Amino acid sequence: MSKKILMVVLSLVMVMTLVVGCGSNTPAPTTAAPTTQAGGGETTPEATTSLAYPEDNIEVVYHSKAGSGGDIFLRTMGKALEPALGVSWVVNNMPGASGATAFEYAASAEPDGYTLLGVSSTIITAPLISGMTTTYKDFEPVCMMFTDPMVVFVQEESPFQTLADLIEFGKANPGTLKIAGGTPGELGFVVGAELMRVAGFEMALVPFEGGGDAAVSVLGGHVDGGIGEYAEIASSVEAGKLRIIASLNAMPEAPEIPTFASEGYPEIQIEKFRGVLAPKGTPQEVIDKLAEMMKTAFDDPDFQQYIKANNMIPNYKVGAEFTAIMDAQHEQVKSTLE
Amino acid sequence: MLDLIMQGITEIMHINTLLFILFGVAWGTIGGMIPGINATIAMALLLPFTWGMGPTNAIVMLCGVYAGGEYGGSIPAILIGTPGTNAAACTVIDGHELHKQGKTGLALYTSLNSSVFGGFFGAIALLFFAMPLAEVALAFGPAEYFALATLGLTMICSLGEKYVFKGILAGFIGIFLSTVGFDPIKGVPRFTFGVMSLNSGFDMVALMMGFYAISEMFKQAQELLGGEVFELKGDPDTHFPKWKEIKGLFKWNVFGSIFGTIIGVMPGAGATTAAFISYSEAKRISKDSSSFGQGNIIGVAVPESANNAATGGAMVPLLALGIPGSNSTAIMLGALMIHNVSPGPMLFINTPEIPYGIFVSLFFANVFLFFVGYMFIKFAIKITSISKPVLIATVIALVYTGAFAYSGELFSIGVTLAFGVVGVLLRKMEIPHTAVVLGFVLGFLMEANLRRGLIISEGSFWGVATASPISAVLLAFAVFSVGFAFVRGLRMSKAELS
Repeated sequence: MSKKILMVVLSLVMVMTLVVGCGSNTPAPTTAAPTTQAGGGETTPEATTSLAYPEDNIEVVYHSKAGSGGDIFLRTMGKALEPALGVSWVVNNMPGASGATAFEYAASAEPDGYTLLGVSSTIITAPLISGMTTTYKDFEPVCMMFTDPMVVFVQEESPFQTLADLIEFGKANPGTLKIAGGTPGELGFVVGAELMRVAGFEMALVPFEGGGDAAVSVLGGHVDGGIGEYAEIASSVEAGKLRIIASLNAMPEAPEIPTFASEGYPEIQIEKFRGVLAPKGTPQEVIDKLAEMMKTAFDDPDFQQYIKANNMIPNYKVGAEFTAIMDAQHEQVKSTLE
Repeated sequence: MLDLIMQGITEIMHINTLLFILFGVAWGTIGGMIPGINATIAMALLLPFTWGMGPTNAIVMLCGVYAGGEYGGSIPAILIGTPGTNAAACTVIDGHELHKQGKTGLALYTSLNSSVFGGFFGAIALLFFAMPLAEVALAFGPAEYFALATLGLTMICSLGEKYVFKGILAGFIGIFLSTVGFDPIKGVPRFTFGVMSLNSGFDMVALMMGFYAISEMFKQAQELLGGEVFELKGDPDTHFPKWKEIKGLFKWNVFGSIFGTIIGVMPGAGATTAAFISYSEAKRISKDSSSFGQGNIIGVAVPESANNAATGGAMVPLLALGIPGSNSTAIMLGALMIHNVSPGPMLFINTPEIPYGIFVSLFFANVFLFFVGYMFIKFAIKITSISKPVLIATVIALVYTGAFAYSGELFSIGVTLAFGVVGVLLRKMEIPHTAVVLGFVLGFLMEANLRRGLIISEGSFWGVATASPISAVLLAFAVFSVGFAFVRGLRMSKAELS
């Protein structure tokens, strides 16, 4: 009896160790068959002409841990995509070095469409903050899927009813307004810096790691307000504990929430995006086919429910349009860091 | 309330759901037992499998893993002096000592009993006081966290054992290590020397496993070379403790559980902090504080009840505020989100069966934990009969795997090895590495929150100290305890000199 238990437990230990060791970082079997152009200068014709893609599992690298918002986005999209792809959509989490590990791994992968990089605005902000050599410019845009709406929020009892109230108070009492947001270079900080610059007033931005901690300090009344992602505070807003005074992005699900544009600051445009990039040099046909299939993912009812439940704004952009958004954000973040 | 609990019970009372909890507990316990794999990693491994389940099954299984993981770490802590998880690091101090004295059964079963007790305590607190406890989380702003971390750091003074000042030195080393990586306020990398992998600072798993597991294995390997192999005299006593012994620890279990629950509630603190703080507080108030570290069973009961009570506490911010307070609850958040359930105050109104299902499942998880733990202990004792070189090699391999799994970088293995070597040196110099780890864990909390507090108080230190009665009282305690330690330290140094 006890021998049997011992065997079961030992084999579970073995399984777990193997899963840990191999699972977290096994590159999905990178295709040997369709891409043999590594050798010489000649481009193999079948890689460009045949659209027999995908024939093998697709590895999607992401810079954050399993269970994080972006990880769930990629995996939910994978569920909606797999029937069309006919192969597995394997999300590989590489949280090391604040993103650099994932970015470098994906950038140096074979540009054959079998290794992709799932991205959020971190692909713009992280290289700028820590001076990484790999940036979004080392990738081809596949498509942008969503915007995570960013909002300015206050405690329910706060005297500030509108964005104008907040700015007016900031102007009348320079430096006394305390707003929780991200560390310099993060989008929450960029929003605050842009607002101060455009509206011409001073407030203290209190940096928190992650929107959750910022929301707690607003809920607890330790600061006057906060800037963060809507998804992180949605439940508290619904429960009437926090109030949104303005959103950076128009939300189709909540049209009553005023936007920066409707409040008179249309020039402040910041979009926290989610999308997919491919290593530079990936054939355009492959990218087009992928982007097309990702578009059909929107029709999946489960995916639709996920969009609604997580308060994301569908925002499908491909090619140059996607690049333009990344370029603009790159400049924006860079200017607030200077 | 009662009908909601009933609703929770009906949600859980399915054979599938119960089996998922049981599997979760067993999986978590095994993960906890493997050095380098903690509850968070064990959960992350199961996460992809939860997506085919309903939200309730998914979350209750993870609750099981959480409970099992926080317990499992104590088994290797006691048997081989290597904690399976960060939160079990405190258990090594007295637990391994007890094993060396042959009181193996007492240590292992006490750890199990205290874990189950703490788990129940946390679950009850969660069930009845989730909302008031959420208020505790909200009352802690930057100033209060700073004060709490400062008070926690003063414990270093009592960890130095004979040499108070060595403990303080160790604490400063730890605080220095915590400053490597991104500056929490300015967002620029510090002390990274251009190494990208250091940007997010030293991995907690890599650092703790280096200090505790690798350095312990090196030490044991060295003992093998020197021939001074530690052999148990005869068979270790593996009997379940007598009722009298269990009863005597009751108040210490309550003591640890209270610390565990409250510290668990605070986002940013967690099970490891809870175990350390409760251990040193127990040592401070105990009449027999000099026996801590020499194999005092209280030193097993207190941190083990605290780290399991923290599981209940950690669920409070997740469920009541929709904000994960720890890595483990962040994974639970992910598991709920993939099922389009977003935790937070509305959860209790929209889908009360989920939060109440979680409450009820925590009770079941702890009942299962008792039986699973009981079985595992029976076979785990056999670990001690494995040949030492094989055991040492296995543990080192497992630790490296765990460190690698956490970040997906080979660099982490290097970090683990480096801290293992540093750990050996610290042992040689009799600098308590527990104090280094404490400085590392609390140093970051203290620095980031002091600087946030200073932004809020517009640069006034006095403003941070008096931001609220909580911060004022905690800081006053801290000042008092540092003063006390200095007096003690000076007296000891004089005694050594004369």
